[in-house]
Amino acid sequence: MGSLLGDWPSYDPHNFSQLRPSDPSNPSKMSPATYHPTHNRTFPPPDQVITTGGKNILLRNFYERAEEKLRQKRAASEHVMPEHGCKQARVSTS
Amino acid sequence: MSVWNYVVTAHKPTNVTHSCVGNFTSPQELNLIVAKCTRIEINLLTPQGLQPMLDVPIYGRIATLELFRPHGEAQDFLFIATERYKFCVLQWDAESSELITRAMGDVSDRIGRPTDNGQIGIIDPDCRLIGLHLYDGLFKVIPFDNKGQLKEAFNIRLEELQVLDIKFLYGCSKPTIVVLYQDNKDARHVKTYEVALKDKDFIEGPWSQNNLDNGADLLIPVPPPFCGVLIIGEETIVYCSANVFRAIPIRPSITKAYGRVDADGSRYLLGDHAGLLHLLVITHEKEKVTGLKIELLGETSVASTISYLDNAFVFIGSSYGDSQLVKLNLQPDAKGSYVEVLDRFVNLGPIADFCVVDLERQGQGQVVTCSGAYKDGSLRIVRNGIGINEQASVELQGIKGMWSLRSLTDDPFDTFLVVSFISETRILAMNIEDELEETEIEGFCSQVQTLFCHCAVFNQLVQVTSSSVRLVSSTTRELRQEWNAPSGFSINVATANATQVLLATGGGHLVYLEIGDGTLTQAKHAQLECEISCLDINPIGENPSCSQLAAVGMWTDISVRIFSLPDLNLITKEPLGGEIIPRSVLLCSFEGISYLLCALGDGHLLNFQLNLSTGELKDRKKVSLGTQPITLRTFSSKNTTHVFAASDRPTVIYSSNKKLLYSNVNLKEVSHMCPFNSAAFPDSLAIAKEGELSIGTIDDIQKLHIRSIPLGEQARRICHQEQSRTFAICSLKTHSNAEESEMNFIRLLDDQTFEFISTYPLDTFEYGCSILSCSFSDDSNVYYCVGTAYVLPEENEPTKGRILVFIVEDGKLQLIAEKETKGAVYSLNAFNGKLLAAINQKIQLYKWMLRDDGTHELQSECGHHGHILALYVQTRGDFIVVGDLMKSISLLIYKHEEGAIEERARDYNANWMSAVEILDDDIYLGAENNFNLFTVRKNSEGATDEERGPS
Repeated sequence: MGSLLGDWPSYDPHNFSQLRPSDPSNPSKMSPATYHPTHNRTFPPPDQVITTGGKNILLRNFYERAEEKLRQKRAASEHVMPEHGCKQARVSTS
Repeated sequence: MSVWNYVVTAHKPTNVTHSCVGNFTSPQELNLIVAKCTRIEINLLTPQGLQPMLDVPIYGRIATLELFRPHGEAQDFLFIATERYKFCVLQWDAESSELITRAMGDVSDRIGRPTDNGQIGIIDPDCRLIGLHLYDGLFKVIPFDNKGQLKEAFNIRLEELQVLDIKFLYGCSKPTIVVLYQDNKDARHVKTYEVALKDKDFIEGPWSQNNLDNGADLLIPVPPPFCGVLIIGEETIVYCSANVFRAIPIRPSITKAYGRVDADGSRYLLGDHAGLLHLLVITHEKEKVTGLKIELLGETSVASTISYLDNAFVFIGSSYGDSQLVKLNLQPDAKGSYVEVLDRFVNLGPIADFCVVDLERQGQGQVVTCSGAYKDGSLRIVRNGIGINEQASVELQGIKGMWSLRSLTDDPFDTFLVVSFISETRILAMNIEDELEETEIEGFCSQVQTLFCHCAVFNQLVQVTSSSVRLVSSTTRELRQEWNAPSGFSINVATANATQVLLATGGGHLVYLEIGDGTLTQAKHAQLECEISCLDINPIGENPSCSQLAAVGMWTDISVRIFSLPDLNLITKEPLGGEIIPRSVLLCSFEGISYLLCALGDGHLLNFQLNLSTGELKDRKKVSLGTQPITLRTFSSKNTTHVFAASDRPTVIYSSNKKLLYSNVNLKEVSHMCPFNSAAFPDSLAIAKEGELSIGTIDDIQKLHIRSIPLGEQARRICHQEQSRTFAICSLKTHSNAEESEMNFIRLLDDQTFEFISTYPLDTFEYGCSILSCSFSDDSNVYYCVGTAYVLPEENEPTKGRILVFIVEDGKLQLIAEKETKGAVYSLNAFNGKLLAAINQKIQLYKWMLRDDGTHELQSECGHHGHILALYVQTRGDFIVVGDLMKSISLLIYKHEEGAIEERARDYNANWMSAVEILDDDIYLGAENNFNLFTVRKNSEGATDEERGPS
C-alpha cells in the first residue's frame, strides 16, 4: 500500500505547504470577486465565430459521390482523350 | 396590481459539476477551475491553499468544461459548452487581468434528438479537433487548423445510438475516439474510430472490445507511454488497448468521477456513489501494462468531479454534498482512512424541500432546507448573516474592553489597539513589519483597567480609568492634563468623543468635561437619583466632533434618559419596563434617521427613533438578540456605518430601506469589538472572544449565512410546528452495504438543537411524500399529517399510500389516525379546517370526525378528478391551485353548499410542473422542469366561466 500511495506528483512543492486546516464545522467562506468584463475582447475575431457547415451528412455524401463520379469520369476521359485523338489521327492517316 | 414580477437570485449556485486543473492564469501558475451550474470559479494554488481569484458568470448551464493547450501556446485555454449548445474558448490575459474570448459559436443542429445520457465534449490530446456528442447518432467535429484556430464544424454519422461515453485516445497518429455504447440487447461494448478530418468521416479504428460489464459507464483514456483506455464498470475494471487486455473485479459500486494523478497515467482516483475514494493503479513493466490494482483510500462527499491538485491535495467537487479539499496521507488514521478533509465548500443543492421559520423570533424568517442527497443529506439553515474572515489571532484571556486609537487626529488609519484587563491595560501597535506588537503610551496609566479611550482633537488621546481622566499627546505620548475623580468616588462608566467626556461616578454623579488643547475642563455636574449603568455621547448631529445630546442608562428605575449637552438638562426619560438593567446605550444614525439603541442585560435590544432637535424618543421596538448582556459599538464598512452588538449571539445592526435589520455574525460569542482600520488590515474589526483576540474583515453586509446540520440520510420533506417547537421531516436512509437497502422514516427534531427526538419508521417500500402541520375544526390540537406512497418495483405508479396523523406528546410522535389511500399522497394542505390531499390524479378532501369512542378519523368528503398527476397544491380561501405533472396549473374551487370541488380555470399549456405558489388572489406562480418560472392570472372580469380562465 505504501508504495502505491507514496510519491505524489508535485508541480510546485510550496503549494499547500502553509495551508491552515479550517474548522470542519465552519466551511470555507472565501468568495472570489465576480468578473465583470469591461473590455471589447469578449467577442472573438470574426473568423472564430464557429458554425456548423450547412450541408447535412446525406447531402454531403451525395455531393461527394457525385464529385467522385465526376472525377472518375474526368480521369477516364482524360485517359481516353489521347487515345481518341490517336484514333482520329489514325483515321485521318488511313 | 403590478404587471411585472421581479425575480432575484439570493444565492449563487453551489453545486459543483465540473472541475479541471491547469496553467490558466499564467504559464507558471496552477489553477483549479470549477463549474457551478451557470458560473465558473477560477482558483489559484498557493502555499496557503486554494485562493479564489474570480467568479465568472456564464450565460447558460455549463455542460462541458475542459482545459487544453494548443500548439505553441505557453498556457492553457478553457473550453466551455453550455446545455443550450453554445460554446466558447477563453484565454486569460495576465497583463490586463481580462478573460478574452478566443472563439465561440453555436453547435446546435436543427434536427436531432438530444442525447439521454448528457452531453459529451472532448478535446483531442494533440489538439487536432474538439469532439462533441450532443444528439443521438451524431458526432460533431470542430477542427483546429495548424495555427490553433478553429474551423467550421461538421457532423459525422455515429452508428451507435445509446452512447455512454466517448474519449479521445492518446498516442494515435490520426485522432481516434473510443466509444462506450449499449446495443439494442442492452449489452455494452467499446469501439474505436479514427476521425478522417479531410473526408469528414469515421474510419474503423484499430480495435474494439465486446461484451463488457453491464454497468460499464465511464472511460478513462490513458496517456503515453501506455495509451489505451480504462473501462470502469460496476463489478469490473478493464484496461484495454490494441494488444493488451487486463481486468480486475471490484466491490460492486457505481463510479461517479475520476481524477488522474500522475502525468504518465499510472494512478487514478475514483469516487463512487457512496462517497468512497479509491486509488486505481496500473502496474507495468517496461512501459507495458501488466495489471491493475485498486485500493480503498477513505470517504469523501459523493463526488461529481475529482481534480488532483498538487502535493497530495485533491479537490472533490460534489453535487450531493459539500465539495471538499482533501489530502492523501501516506499513513492511515485511526479509522484506516488515508483521506483527510482539510476544507469544505458549501453546497446547498439539491434542495428537495424547504420551510420558512422565524426560529429566533426576531421577525426575520430563516429558510430551512432539505439539502444534499444520500449519505450527504443535511438540513441547512439559511439566513441573512454576516461572516468575519479572520486574518490574525492571538490568545488573550480576560479582555474587558478594546479601543483603537490614531496617532494623529486626521490620520486615516488606526495605530494603537488598547486592550483593557481587570487590573491592567495593554497597548498593541502595528510595527513596520505589519505585525501587532506590544508598545507603550507613556501618558496612559497601564496598571489599572481602562474604562474608555478615544482620540481627541489637537492630536490628543483620552484615557478614562476608575480614578481619573488622562489627556495625552498622541505625538509625544506624554500626559498633558489629568482630571481626578473626587476622593471617595470612583468612576464607574465613561464615554467620550473628540471634544467631550461624560462620566459617572458612584452615587449617581454625572460629570461632563470638555477637551481643549492640553486642557480638560469640568463644564457641568449633575446628580441623579440613582446609579448610572451606561452612557453615550456619539456625535450624530451636524457637528461630527461634538454631541448636543447624551444618552444615559439607569439602574434602579430601569430607564434611559436623554440629557442636553453641555448643560446636562434632562430632556426625556423613557422607562424600559421589566427588571433588566440597560447595559449599553448608543446614539447612532442610519440612512439619515437618528436612533437610540439600548441593550439590556438579558440580550434584548430596544430601539427608538430619536428626534435630534427635541430629544424625543418614539417608535419603540424590542428584539431579542441573545441571552447575555450586549455591548454596542459602531463600525463602518464600505463607507456605511453599522452597529456591532457583541454578545453570546453577535449581531450586526444595519439599515435597509430605512428599516433596521439584524444579521447574525458567524461567531459563537463575542465579548468586545472595536473597529481597527490599519494599513495592514484595512476596514477590519478587532474581536475579543473566548480567550482570544482576533482581527478580521467583515463580509458584505446582507450576505446569506448558512448553517449545516448533517443528517447522514436524505431529507425529502420538512415542516415546522410552532406549538411543539419541532420540525418533522420525511427522510430516506440508504445503507450502502452489500445489499442496497433503503429505510424511510418520519423524524421529529427539536427546532433549537436540531437533534432527532423521535422517529416513526415507515413500512418497507413506503416513502414519505408530503408533510404538514395543521389543526382541524372542532379540535384544538395541532397535528403533523404525513402522506406516503408504497413504491413497489413492479408498479409504474403507486396504487397505495397512507395519510398518517401524528400528535407530539412529551417530545414523541404519537400516531393518532391512519387512512389508506389509492395512490401516492403527493401533497397535503390544511383547508377550511379539513385536510386536502393530492392523491395520484385526484384531489381529495377529508373531514376530521370524532368517533363515538372519542378517537378521531379522517373521512372522505369530496374530490376532483382530471389530472395526470396532481403533484403540487396550494390553497387560499376556497380556491385550490394545482400544479400537474404535465398539464401546467389549474384552479379549483370548493363549494361549501354542495360539498364539491369544481374546476374554475386552467392554463392549457403543457408545462411539466415542479412547484406552484399563490402570489395573491388572482396571480399564481409556477415553476417547470425547464428551469422556468411563469405566472398565470385569473381572469376575474370575464362574464362566463370560460372567459374567466387564466390569461
